[in-house]
Amino acid sequence: MLIKPKTLQFQNLTCVRDDRCLFADLSMTLPPGSLLRVAGPNGAGKTTLLRILSALHEPDSGTVQIGEVEDHLESRQEILYLGHKPQVCQDLSIMDNLMFLTEASQMKCAQAVQFVGLKGCEDSLVRELSQGQGRRCGLARLWCHEVPIWILDEPYTALDPGMVAILEDRINIHVGEGGVCVFTTHQNPTNLRFETLELARVS
Amino acid sequence: MSVEHRFLVRELKLVLARPGDFFKPMWFLILVISMVPLALSPDSKLLGEIGSAMIWVATLLALLLNADQLFRDDFVDGVLEQWLFFNRPLFWLVILKLFCHWLFYVVPLILVTPLAGMMLSVPNDVMIALLVTLLLATPALTCFSALGAALTLGTARSGILGVLVMLPLFVPVIILAAGVLTRASDGSDILPLLALLGAFSIAAATLLPLAVGVALRLNIGGSS
Amino acid sequence: MGWRWFHEWGSPKWFYDRAGRWQRVCGFLALALLLVGTLWGLGFAPADYQQGNSYRIIYLHVPVAFLAQALYVAMAVCAIVLFVWKMKLADVGMQALAVVGFGFTVLALFSGSIWGKPTWGTYWVWDARLTSMLILGFLYLGLIGLRSAIQNPDQAGKACAILVLVGVVNLPIIKYSVEWWSALHQPASFKLTEKPAMPASMWVPLLINLLGYYLVAAYLVLASMRTVILDRERGSAWVREVIERD
Repeated sequence: MLIKPKTLQFQNLTCVRDDRCLFADLSMTLPPGSLLRVAGPNGAGKTTLLRILSALHEPDSGTVQIGEVEDHLESRQEILYLGHKPQVCQDLSIMDNLMFLTEASQMKCAQAVQFVGLKGCEDSLVRELSQGQGRRCGLARLWCHEVPIWILDEPYTALDPGMVAILEDRINIHVGEGGVCVFTTHQNPTNLRFETLELARVS
Repeated sequence: MSVEHRFLVRELKLVLARPGDFFKPMWFLILVISMVPLALSPDSKLLGEIGSAMIWVATLLALLLNADQLFRDDFVDGVLEQWLFFNRPLFWLVILKLFCHWLFYVVPLILVTPLAGMMLSVPNDVMIALLVTLLLATPALTCFSALGAALTLGTARSGILGVLVMLPLFVPVIILAAGVLTRASDGSDILPLLALLGAFSIAAATLLPLAVGVALRLNIGGSS
Repeated sequence: MGWRWFHEWGSPKWFYDRAGRWQRVCGFLALALLLVGTLWGLGFAPADYQQGNSYRIIYLHVPVAFLAQALYVAMAVCAIVLFVWKMKLADVGMQALAVVGFGFTVLALFSGSIWGKPTWGTYWVWDARLTSMLILGFLYLGLIGLRSAIQNPDQAGKACAILVLVGVVNLPIIKYSVEWWSALHQPASFKLTEKPAMPASMWVPLLINLLGYYLVAAYLVLASMRTVILDRERGSAWVREVIERD
């Protein structure tokens, strides 16, 4: 896949939630080819940080910048965000969902469905699939959405070891092509080489 | 394929995927209209006088029933967040969504109102005025009900709160439309009022999606 | 304790103390003005040649109705301040104003209804002013309902702000359309508004009462804001001190 590599950088990110400071003055530059894992105990603010990087949430102070464009909101289309929710429409098939969420052609979407091991389920409604299969529907975007920045919040959830290996392969390819990936997970990735950003609880 | 094309295709597929949402408002309309003679009297002259107003109110309520479903499914599924990553401003996507909703759900409902008109012996010229006022007013009403739906997205069991919050704002449209219907049954000129109604709808359809977009962002940003 | 972020003017504690003082001033002034205005209006102003003594309810109705609308506009100002300067105090103000405004609206409807009985024989008529007041009541109710339905206070504040701003733009449209509707269906004599030529002995007490009720509103809003602040900041040290003191 062809992506235009971009740098993701954030400076002095601070976030306060319910009178509790989740993190303060976080700064980092992630050049193309970076793989970052955000780690920390539950409630440390990992999801919030990822959502700030995806421009879904505003930080209390600090900036995020992708590439040369200063306005974070302008460069939202360079991001692929995978969150906790399924992020696919339950009443449609996985093909319909992929064709809506990405610009990929029908052929590319069909290939993506094969990659996540859902060949044969292209036309089933997402709500008819099992939870693990439904989760893979959301992941299928990784194979057909050509953007440089990936923000993945707990991508390993509900995946069997075979699928985990396929996912890690895909992340490695993406990073190898010059993409940037920021992710969180409670499991220990085996096949990835990454930096870690620890978010400790500030009390 | 462009964003607009993908959006329209998905809305069409969603209508086919959820046929209940398509038929329920029509079912509600006919059911409620059937109650009117039972609650009032079967005298067709009396029914004809109040019929158009009753159909207006019943259609209004039928529309509002559907309003909550505008954004809720996408919000719960996490798809609403993904709207933000399309290469388009949010208010434009809201306009697309509301246009599709109007075209695929509201217009079919309006096309069923002549049946209700026949049941209440509404005279033909009033019926035509009714259709025109509904077509002109419903874009504005769809936008208002969208705002109610967007504001109450985050609340549990919201359902009717979005409707309650928005109904007072419908008053100018209801009054204007009723004015047109009264004049139609008198036989006097309805064009200036229709123009006013149309202008109000255009203004609402242009300005309200901005507010809806802000409300959606509020709810997306709040859920994490 | 955790971090607390105050944007610009108006840390809650500062406001809480100041507002307490302002509140007392407003309360005394309001009491004085209302005493003068009401006694004058009820006892000493001349009887209206058309409605006799029953018109005197306007000394309650007109100020209260005016304020019900003015408070909505005040909420809209708070909403703008909230969005532009992100002051949390503006949100507290909005929350207080919604409840007080609703109270004034109910009072206006009630007093309007009492006025209607001796004049028209019924407790309710669909004239332009009462109908507009009723719709205003629903708008206030919607705001109160929306705020109580949303758990997160910041989100609730912003959602209410959006609703208030859309409402305030529609308010003149609603009023105008209701007046048009009323004129369409009812003869012109069906108006509860006063004739323009009121002798000074009538409108001076009205003005005094208006000022008095304005100060009552200020008193109630300030008191309500202080309660809201205590509730929102209940985790902090200074609130605990206040509670222990009282």
